[in-house]
Amino acid sequence: MIATLRHEFGMQIRRPALWIVYGLAFVLLVISFRQGYLIPDIGRVPRSVTTDLLAVVGTVNVLMPMAYGCLLADRLVRDGRLGVSEVLDAAPASRTGRLLGKYLGACAATAVPIALVYFGRVAVYAVTEGGPGALPLSVLVFAATALPGLLFVGALALAGPLLVPLPLFRVLFVGYWFWGSLIPADMMPTLSHTVLSPGAHYAEFGLLYTAPSDPYVLPYGPWPDAVLNVLRPVASPGAAFLWMGVMAVLTVAVLLLVRLHTSRTA
Amino acid sequence: MKHFHLWSHETRGAGPAALITPPALALTAVLLGLLAPRIGAREPVAARLLLGVAEMGVPLLTGLLAASLVGGDRAAELRLSLPSPYRATVLRRVAVTVGWAGLCALPVLALLSARDWWRLLPVSPGVLAGQLVWLSPTLWLTALGLLAWTLSRSTVAAAATVALVWLAGLTLFGVSGGGTVPGPLDLFATTRGVAEESWLPNRLLLLVSAVPLAVAAWLLLGNDERVLGGGER
Amino acid sequence: MRIEISRLTKTYRGGVHALDGIDLDVPTGMYGLLGSNGAGKTTLMRVLAGLLRPTSGTVRIGGHDVTTSAGRLAVRRELGYLPQDLGVYPDMTARGFLDYVALLKGLDSRPFRRRRIGELLDVVGLSGVADRRLGRLSGGMVRRVGVAQALLGDPKLLVVDEPTTGLDPEERIRLRIMLGELAGERTVLLSTNLVEDVAETCRSLAVLAAGRLLFDGSTSRLVARAEGLVWTVTTPGPAPSGRIVSALPTDAGTRYRVVAPERPAPEAEPVEPTLEEGYLALMETTRV
Repeated sequence: MIATLRHEFGMQIRRPALWIVYGLAFVLLVISFRQGYLIPDIGRVPRSVTTDLLAVVGTVNVLMPMAYGCLLADRLVRDGRLGVSEVLDAAPASRTGRLLGKYLGACAATAVPIALVYFGRVAVYAVTEGGPGALPLSVLVFAATALPGLLFVGALALAGPLLVPLPLFRVLFVGYWFWGSLIPADMMPTLSHTVLSPGAHYAEFGLLYTAPSDPYVLPYGPWPDAVLNVLRPVASPGAAFLWMGVMAVLTVAVLLLVRLHTSRTA
Repeated sequence: MKHFHLWSHETRGAGPAALITPPALALTAVLLGLLAPRIGAREPVAARLLLGVAEMGVPLLTGLLAASLVGGDRAAELRLSLPSPYRATVLRRVAVTVGWAGLCALPVLALLSARDWWRLLPVSPGVLAGQLVWLSPTLWLTALGLLAWTLSRSTVAAAATVALVWLAGLTLFGVSGGGTVPGPLDLFATTRGVAEESWLPNRLLLLVSAVPLAVAAWLLLGNDERVLGGGER
Repeated sequence: MRIEISRLTKTYRGGVHALDGIDLDVPTGMYGLLGSNGAGKTTLMRVLAGLLRPTSGTVRIGGHDVTTSAGRLAVRRELGYLPQDLGVYPDMTARGFLDYVALLKGLDSRPFRRRRIGELLDVVGLSGVADRRLGRLSGGMVRRVGVAQALLGDPKLLVVDEPTTGLDPEERIRLRIMLGELAGERTVLLSTNLVEDVAETCRSLAVLAAGRLLFDGSTSRLVARAEGLVWTVTTPGPAPSGRIVSALPTDAGTRYRVVAPERPAPEAEPVEPTLEEGYLALMETTRV
């Protein structure tokens, strides 16, 4: 598993397309989210280092996971296309170990530019405004808000093209990310802002930021006039851990399905 | 007859994704539109859904398909060795992809008209001009997808470029509630709801600005060595 | 169609010299192009098919200069090309794929196309699966579809890049015979890393290594390069020195065929060389 992980990591990180795509994503991020990424003060009251870090990770988490999913989508089907699956099947490493190594290696490499964009901004922030305490806090913020969604999206992006052709999967994935993570919940029936959404903000509003009590501002959770509100509990530490747990379970479930698929097609 | 056979082969060459996805998308939208009153969805929500499919869904689809059209062509090397120019094939396949997607968008827009839901939307163009709802962003993103492939010679880079520009278009222009920057190159001006008098210039400017993208892609596609060096790795 | 190549160089980005100053004349008939993997064969084939532009030098095919657009187009009208990695559309049938290629080669008459495709499917032995999707055919069958498409339009120049790769012995023999029969008034350029393919079909050949031309001439001349250098040794002990060509277990020990400049063992017997041994002797004496 470790050998596969290192191999996959190396293969993906050396891919020119990875850096081209993230380069473009970074440019679009800076243009689209000047407020949030370049200027972390987005009006959260009371403003703190945590709210600033949440603003940065929140903006990074809009565009970047889409590039992340698109770049991961061909990793698993590529072995079959290049005809190396059979060779690898004959190797002593177990299929499960290989799958895990591939998943972790490819996901880790594809997440490196996201981490660079986020922690790079955090480093500048720590020097200019937040102080050195922002650095350890930024790790916690990233791990709690972005990582669970990235783990699930990574598994989904690897698995999807096993079922549908790659170009079609990319269409579905981009549509899914927009529909299932970004749009307002009252725009149309959507999984967006539910505990099933990899882009949901439960860790942000349940664990890391508590807005001052305001009768005119609704807490994060159910949306008026939205369907599927049963999947949108009011943000709380419990709801945040529930969201993280759901992401972990979905990740494991998708990887199990991939493992079953590889057994059946062997 | 020759042209009929050639186009029928190119239709297959465009790939199953180009043939299956647009009708699936349109069918889903039309069904949701038809069933909206019965499942308790408000009319403005249903109207926005149909409009979103035509203005955002169809262009995303064709843009991503165009991005993988050349890189995903398994017979590109053989095709390049034939006397008929390869970019003519690319053009035919793009025409099939865009034409078919546009044809599938028609019932979606027709349902908007039939239900008289245009009145619920910020912009209400006529039937003919209304086709620019999908046509302008579709041609723009399709040209971008082709150009991105010819520049990067990587399907994944081209597809991600289309996806990112599409999503940035949504966030930048406020469709998803992120930014509020208006602009003449707003890909989704209808859904966002620009002023009635800005809508047609926006659509026409999109069409015009797609031309240099398409021309650049066309010129680069004429370089066989460049095309041959690309493809999935 | 005569192929005249002069001082041909192809350098890829990054400074890789795939072809380095090639001078070669290929007459009408069957002509072999031998070389190990990475020797530059596929690059040369692609230059001849007009897919790659030379970095320097000239290539004239039937009098047409392939470094110009007009020349490339003229050559493509007379060309049948089978690439090394033949990609096909898995959703198309064999007949549909051939019809598509025929249209792109300018065969506009439908009755003519149908007749010619039927004939070629017979020639490559695929009439029975003509309406099956290409994605469901074996690798060997797809290769034969590739040969059939190359023959559409009755090309005067056939460029086939490793056509027997992946074929079973029977298919390989059948394909070799077919290519030999086609070579009458055409130029058939057969690129391969299997010496056997050239030995069975070509009277002339060129050998490439690391982008350079090591040899061009008749097969008999290449065989002659190993004259007096090939030996057999039967021994139960360790292998003799020299380049071992084969090792056959016998009751008396292992019988080795060896290419060596001097008798590799006292009991070694000189034998008549084969083309393969001529190739090995060439590679040994002109290491690049």
